[in-house]
Amino acid sequence: MGFLNKSQLKSPWLMHFDCGSCNGCDIETLACLTPVYDVERFGIINVGNPRHADVLVVTGTVNPRNAVVLKNLYDQMPAPRLVIAIGACGCSGGVFREAPNVLGGVDKVIPVDVYVPGCPAKPEAIMDAVVTGLAKLKGILEAR
Amino acid sequence: MNLTTFYLAFAGLVLAPLLGGLVAGVDRVVTARLQSRMGPPLLQPFYDAGKLWSKVIPPASHWQGLFVRWALVASLASDVLLAAGADVLMCFFVQAASACFVAMGAFCGNSPYSKIGAQRELFQLLCYEPVFLVAILAMCKAAGGFDAFAIMAAKGPLLYKLPLLIPGLLFVVLVKLRKSPFDISASHHMHQEVVRGVYTDYAGRDFALLEIAHWADVTVVLWICSFLWATGPLQMVAAGLAFLFAALLIDNISARLTWRYMVKVVAPVSLFLATANLLWLYLE
Repeated sequence: MGFLNKSQLKSPWLMHFDCGSCNGCDIETLACLTPVYDVERFGIINVGNPRHADVLVVTGTVNPRNAVVLKNLYDQMPAPRLVIAIGACGCSGGVFREAPNVLGGVDKVIPVDVYVPGCPAKPEAIMDAVVTGLAKLKGILEAR
Repeated sequence: MNLTTFYLAFAGLVLAPLLGGLVAGVDRVVTARLQSRMGPPLLQPFYDAGKLWSKVIPPASHWQGLFVRWALVASLASDVLLAAGADVLMCFFVQAASACFVAMGAFCGNSPYSKIGAQRELFQLLCYEPVFLVAILAMCKAAGGFDAFAIMAAKGPLLYKLPLLIPGLLFVVLVKLRKSPFDISASHHMHQEVVRGVYTDYAGRDFALLEIAHWADVTVVLWICSFLWATGPLQMVAAGLAFLFAALLIDNISARLTWRYMVKVVAPVSLFLATANLLWLYLE
């Protein structure tokens, strides 16, 4: 594997989008950045700009209004990109899935690579999801 | 131009960006340790640049690619000039041109954050460039020559003659390294009020080239700062590292200032101190 492909695996920049979460999963996602979990040791940085992001981390349910924003953010990210759906709501809509304004999980709008269950999802599970996503990316890069 | 100058210039062209990348790696590791974290590997900035290079994304404006390449050329040229022992003032002006190209490229983008960042970048240029210019003039006056070799060949450390330059040079280093409290245009630690400021619209290969230009800039600035104790190569490295670690420490213990405070207070005070030192050299 060449340096450029290797560097894609060693430098995943995350963008976190709250699609209508109760903030439980958001707090757990941000906990990954604290000294206790320190995701920067894997080269992970939390960015606020979709044009710089490699991994889109989405929490919360999708409704018709934020689906537009979610799709817009995804479209602005450069390929190859990963999407991680976090928490019960992000995976399937959770307890809100029958609500009239809820479309369901993130995969109703954009393709999802890794699902992280939990209400809220644990920081360890979120970090594990990124590592799993990178293994998938490695397969994509090697198959080129 | 003899062959030695050519070799030195070539070494400057290749080694200076690599050195800047290593400085960025040290910066991230030391910052992480100061925050009780483990931090990324030392070579993380090179992985980041490699990753950005392999990303495919259309530019926000077709002019941006041009400005990024000019910024890279200007930054590398300033390294080459310094390594070849050319006029330090010329190196300073070429390096300032690079910073202007970055701001012009950011003005071409569509994002309002990019435009705000570019305006703040111009304010930063307005503030640190005069201080840096006077500091370089003072160094040249104290060493008795305008070329880099003359300053590096000066007898004894220049620091004793130029103590009032320290705040000004530290200000310049903090701005050029994009560190708090003067990380006003680019929000080095991301996810802040202007997203990534002047860098917002740069992405993919353009951003990778911009990172390399930034590394080259950092090397030039730290190199010029190290002229304060240029009694030997090791002493110069130690002086450069002293400025770097001071900047990292200040970055970790301070919050970001507003651009108004920078323009109204920091720039005049540091410029006054540097000018006072220059006048003192003339009156001596």
